Amino acid sequence: MDEDTTTSNMLRRMSSRTRKVATKMVAALASSDNRTQAALARLEALENDNPGAEMIEINSDDDASLDDEDQVYTKKQSKSTKRKTRQAKALENAKKAPRTFLELLHEANLESLPPHLPSYLRAAVGPPSSTTRRHFCTVCGFTAKYTCVRCGMRFCAIRCQNIHNDTRCLKFVA
Amino acid sequence: MSSNNVVVLDNGAGLIKAGIGGNLDPTAILPNCLARPLSSKKFLHLSDLNATAAFDLTSAAVRRPLDRGYLINPDLQREIWSNLFSNVLKINPSHSSLLLVEPLFNLPSLQRAADELVFEEFGFESLFVADSPSLVHLYEASRSRPSNGVSEQASLVVDCGFSFTHAAPVFQNFTVNYAVKRLDLGGKALTNYLKELVSYRAVNVMDETFIMDDVKEKLCFVSLDVARDLQVARKPGRDNYFRCTYVLPDGVTHTKGFVKDPDEANRCLTSKDGAPKDDMEYPEVTEKAEDRKRVDLTKNEFSLTNERFLVPEMIFRPADLGMNQAGLAECIVRAVNSCHVYLHPVLYESIILTGGSSLFPRFAERLERELRPLVPDDYQVKITTQEDPILGVWRGGSLLASSPDFETMCVTKAEYEELGSARCRRRFFH
Repeated sequence: MDEDTTTSNMLRRMSSRTRKVATKMVAALASSDNRTQAALARLEALENDNPGAEMIEINSDDDASLDDEDQVYTKKQSKSTKRKTRQAKALENAKKAPRTFLELLHEANLESLPPHLPSYLRAAVGPPSSTTRRHFCTVCGFTAKYTCVRCGMRFCAIRCQNIHNDTRCLKFVA
Repeated sequence: MSSNNVVVLDNGAGLIKAGIGGNLDPTAILPNCLARPLSSKKFLHLSDLNATAAFDLTSAAVRRPLDRGYLINPDLQREIWSNLFSNVLKINPSHSSLLLVEPLFNLPSLQRAADELVFEEFGFESLFVADSPSLVHLYEASRSRPSNGVSEQASLVVDCGFSFTHAAPVFQNFTVNYAVKRLDLGGKALTNYLKELVSYRAVNVMDETFIMDDVKEKLCFVSLDVARDLQVARKPGRDNYFRCTYVLPDGVTHTKGFVKDPDEANRCLTSKDGAPKDDMEYPEVTEKAEDRKRVDLTKNEFSLTNERFLVPEMIFRPADLGMNQAGLAECIVRAVNSCHVYLHPVLYESIILTGGSSLFPRFAERLERELRPLVPDDYQVKITTQEDPILGVWRGGSLLASSPDFETMCVTKAEYEELGSARCRRRFFH
């Protein structure tokens, strides 16, 4: 029975997390420059290790640290020992989870360095000299002439537009 | 054997290259990550590249200690290193020195964490921290012949790696750090981009990191003329010599994906300028019959056409992806322009291309075509590709580690304990 609650607990946690992501998307859409935000979110996604499995990641980490033997024991022990609350677990996870590079970069406060010192920020190549951008159809990949009026994605023909509207419009990742 | 051997460790975000200083090739090349296959509950070590064949890595989750090229998870890195040192290299850290390759502009907090890892967790006798461009230059300059054109004084190292691409001028074995330019695109982003395209257009492969890496390595190439190639990719049937099919593993007969018809896939690479000659097309008529038999496998395979060249294309035009960054050619020009004017001709004449992402076919050719119009007419542009771009940095490190005064350049454990991380780091000039 105890096992049952844990699994349902995990499921609940999973679903709450999915919802959180969804609200983020909604917020991104609601804000004034939603298209740029969506583009940034997409670029961010390109640096992800497990783009598909993002949402399960935190739960599965707990399992990963357990040895096979431990799992046998936990079945026996779980009734006697006090189970951790969700909050405590989340706190522990937060402590354990490594911070992302961007957080660390922010913390290093490189902006405060004098301008003549080379740093990570100053090494970035900077914007291109010409702003012309080729557009490729998000559906088939060929040169795209048209822009979706709702979400700003590109497509090349009415066939692709229909596919776009049916599947991808207002969604960011596949 | 002397009591003091030097471990050379090129700790890349994608692949760890590790071995003993003085050797030509590293002992181990392994992915710098832990992977958890579907069948397992634990994250497993991948102890060498071929181990990826041993496990079924379909839909494996991955944990990497490096993010955007920088070591952010020392705990995870410790696990990977301890497996590496004890099981693969079989060395005893307390009797060895370490030559560690660190990314440029490492943050002080991360440097401290790395020092702690090296001296306190593993207890290495001494440490030398190098950056990759200077090692690549060192290696190429050491093999310099009149023919290969790499100047011994200065060169421009273009390192197209897993997390980012650097254009770094090197002058007399020192990286000119104020002139380094970085483009935030590397192999990882390209793989993810390919995943995104294939998942939307054909089969959902968002979880298949290892498979898509393989697809990228085998099928992607750099186009020399995008507009023309797009036209070709639009054609139906066998006129479209870019189309090729990749078969996903089914978990029963084969656990690794493969290219269905390698000849077909290589058609576009056979001729010099990217268009195959007409006589190439005759043998394919016989394949037609085979084509029709393929239908029953449709669920397990997907074909690629324009994705094959539009993916690496992003390194040359990141703006197409929506990134506000200049392409590789412009990146190089800006790096050179930040140096002294006297250096410009020398740098353009000895551009060294390294890093795993430069392995795309025709990468150097395309780069030269893009670069030439941006460089003043009276300067020569010469791009040297390394013999093995993945190992270039490691070989440089191996060379440095075998030089007689290597020991004197290191920071020893005693010095670290006495002075602390920050003071010791000053010795490495970066």
